[in-house]
Amino acid sequence: VAQRRIAQKGIIGTRLPRNYTFTITAVTTTTAANAAPSPARIVLDTLREERGAWLFVARTAIALYLTGWLAMRFALPQPGTAMMTVVIVANRQTGMVLAKSFYRVIGTLSGAAVALFLVGVFPQERMFLLPALAMWIGLCAGGALMFRNFASYSFVLAGYTAMIVAVPAIANPLRDFDSATARVSEVLLGIVVAGVVSDTIFPTRLRDALLHTARTQFQHFMRFITGASQGAADAKTVEQAYLRSMRESIALEDLRSSVIFEDPATRARNEQLQTFNHRFMEASTSLQSLHHLLDRLRRIGSHRAVAELTAQYRLLGEALNVPDADYIAPLLLPRLEELRPRLVEQGERACSTLAEESIDFQTGHVLILRLVDELQRYARAALSLRAPRIERPHGRMRFVRSNDVAGSLVAGVRGMLTVLVAGLFWIESAWPSGVGVMVTAGIFASIFASSPDPVRSALQLLTGWASGLVVSFFALFFILNQTNGYELLVAATLPLFLPSVYLLTRPTLAGIGTGYAMGLVSNIGFANTMNFDVAYFLNDGIGQIVGVGVATLAFLLIPSHTGSGWFRHRQLARLRGQIALAADAPLAGLLQRFESVMRDLIQQIIARTTQGDAGGAGPLAWGLAVHETGRALIELRQAAAGLAPPLAAPVADAVKSLAHFYEHPGAQRYTMTNRSITTAIAAIQAAQPASQLDPVLVHLHLLRLAMLDAASVVAQYRPADENAQENPHAA
Amino acid sequence: MPREVALGDALVPGALLLFLAMAAMLWLLDWIAGRFDLYRFVWHPALVRLAVFVIAFGALGLILY
Repeated sequence: VAQRRIAQKGIIGTRLPRNYTFTITAVTTTTAANAAPSPARIVLDTLREERGAWLFVARTAIALYLTGWLAMRFALPQPGTAMMTVVIVANRQTGMVLAKSFYRVIGTLSGAAVALFLVGVFPQERMFLLPALAMWIGLCAGGALMFRNFASYSFVLAGYTAMIVAVPAIANPLRDFDSATARVSEVLLGIVVAGVVSDTIFPTRLRDALLHTARTQFQHFMRFITGASQGAADAKTVEQAYLRSMRESIALEDLRSSVIFEDPATRARNEQLQTFNHRFMEASTSLQSLHHLLDRLRRIGSHRAVAELTAQYRLLGEALNVPDADYIAPLLLPRLEELRPRLVEQGERACSTLAEESIDFQTGHVLILRLVDELQRYARAALSLRAPRIERPHGRMRFVRSNDVAGSLVAGVRGMLTVLVAGLFWIESAWPSGVGVMVTAGIFASIFASSPDPVRSALQLLTGWASGLVVSFFALFFILNQTNGYELLVAATLPLFLPSVYLLTRPTLAGIGTGYAMGLVSNIGFANTMNFDVAYFLNDGIGQIVGVGVATLAFLLIPSHTGSGWFRHRQLARLRGQIALAADAPLAGLLQRFESVMRDLIQQIIARTTQGDAGGAGPLAWGLAVHETGRALIELRQAAAGLAPPLAAPVADAVKSLAHFYEHPGAQRYTMTNRSITTAIAAIQAAQPASQLDPVLVHLHLLRLAMLDAASVVAQYRPADENAQENPHAA
Repeated sequence: MPREVALGDALVPGALLLFLAMAAMLWLLDWIAGRFDLYRFVWHPALVRLAVFVIAFGALGLILY
């Protein structure tokens, strides 16, 4: 019976649009797991699991030797560079290969252009050329830190390509143009071949992963609301959900930025995907606010309001509780549409019965209504991802990142100094391979600048590189000197090369694998006329190792500022500065900007504080407070836009004082902020009848509750005498 | 079309210019296909892309040589 059901599913699956591939694969794997495991079965399963890895190895090998062959046929000066490109862009997922290739092209072209310019300005003058190159590398290494995806790679590449092109032309400037064309042709050849091979031969598509991520994001969120509304969520679970939503939205954004290179259909839906992600972020922040508000109301003893709100929340949870299905968005939308008027009606009834706690209830009620609206928009965005007609959403929603200029500055100075010191060493020592030291040091000083743990990455690469060097020595002087022709070259080097590609498929060993492959390819020096000069080989090899060593040393001497106390301090200040952004910046597009910047910042903080680190809790608490307050501020400003001037003034004052407080938190500012919020509330309340639902008032009350919350991180600034008056209804 | 074109006094092979023009064409076709989801009629989109490119580039290359 089970088999027939699966067969039916399979038949349905073939009729479904291609988006459903994921379910079908999932079904097949579960059947394999349910069957009784026999030894042959286990072997087969292992092979199937490893199939992807070995296909990747095969793809890379084909691309590598095809590139080498073409480069030799085209008589390019250094076929090794083209092959190196293949090694560098090698990745299991096609989208990654294409994305990295795209940025590598940009970097190579701009680097070559800069090299032409610099050599043209300082011909035969290395005392000027080297500092200029060092400055360019510093600039690029700094710029690389401004981006989180492969775009940063194009900066790195622009930096060191300029050096690779310019250095051979120092003594002979007329060679500069040839050097630039050769480098660009070799790199582009490698990229074209690697791209075509990974796109056509058994490609592993990231697109499926993207669809899967989007779907699990949606379903998990809805499930979480259902679960949490039944009272199954404590503070810890809510915090976990917060972090999870953070990771999920960033993961989706990262995937999207690679998949658009791979899949034209996804590229056409690029803006819809961005909108989808933003809808998720908006809704998840509102959900967080709601949970925090309920906790706070419970703490200050507003129990009747909490009871009413929990009832409403439960209604929402029930509306979202649909049977498990692959695609729940179309089921949810009508339920949400039907729910909203019911909530509004119930809210009006509750308002009239709750006397003093009515403002508390209204605050939560507005939050729940907002959440319902946002969930509707989120579900609509999910629907639009599958709709056959692609409609452009109104207004583009970009994912804005937040960068610390100090980090870029440190990386830039480090890159510059590394090249300068290595160049000085080259000139002073007059060692012919000193130039190799300089180039290698420059390359790795810029590549590892954006790595979370540069010293560890550099040491891993050094290990791989050194073993690649040793192996290539034996390959070159014991095997390759006895072979002739390209077939034998392939036969001799393929077995040496394969293990490194396999290492690339293991996350922990990828660094060693890359180092080994790079060391091997660059030291064998594939060319039409191979160079079997032992002294040159040793000099060059030692030069490269010393170069990687110099780069490692640079990271030890000028440590990356990430993770240091100073850095954390700056990051916290930047985090709190987001309140000023929420309070000051023009409202158009502000919500999207705030939501994405907050996620990027918090993700950075989490990524760079090791687990169990006490320093991690503080920033997270601040993150929660800033996120909630900032969001409420934006909503408040939107609501207050149409306010009459006499009422608008106290509200604007409250907004400004909150921004001041978060910029430099202190007891005095805390009191001032509280006072100005209270004044604003009083002004609004005086102008309107109490029973009316006023969004400005509600958001002010929300901010006030957040300020007065004893469990919040801002509570530490509360003066001792104010602790007595816990009740926010005192106003 | 000449076999070599002087761009700013640098001799560029005509085939390279054709290659770039065809790449641009491919990008346009790809965009259209993605916009209207035409690849759903195709078993292996990447292979089709490659084939279209090779045909177009090869055919125009015949004019050069």
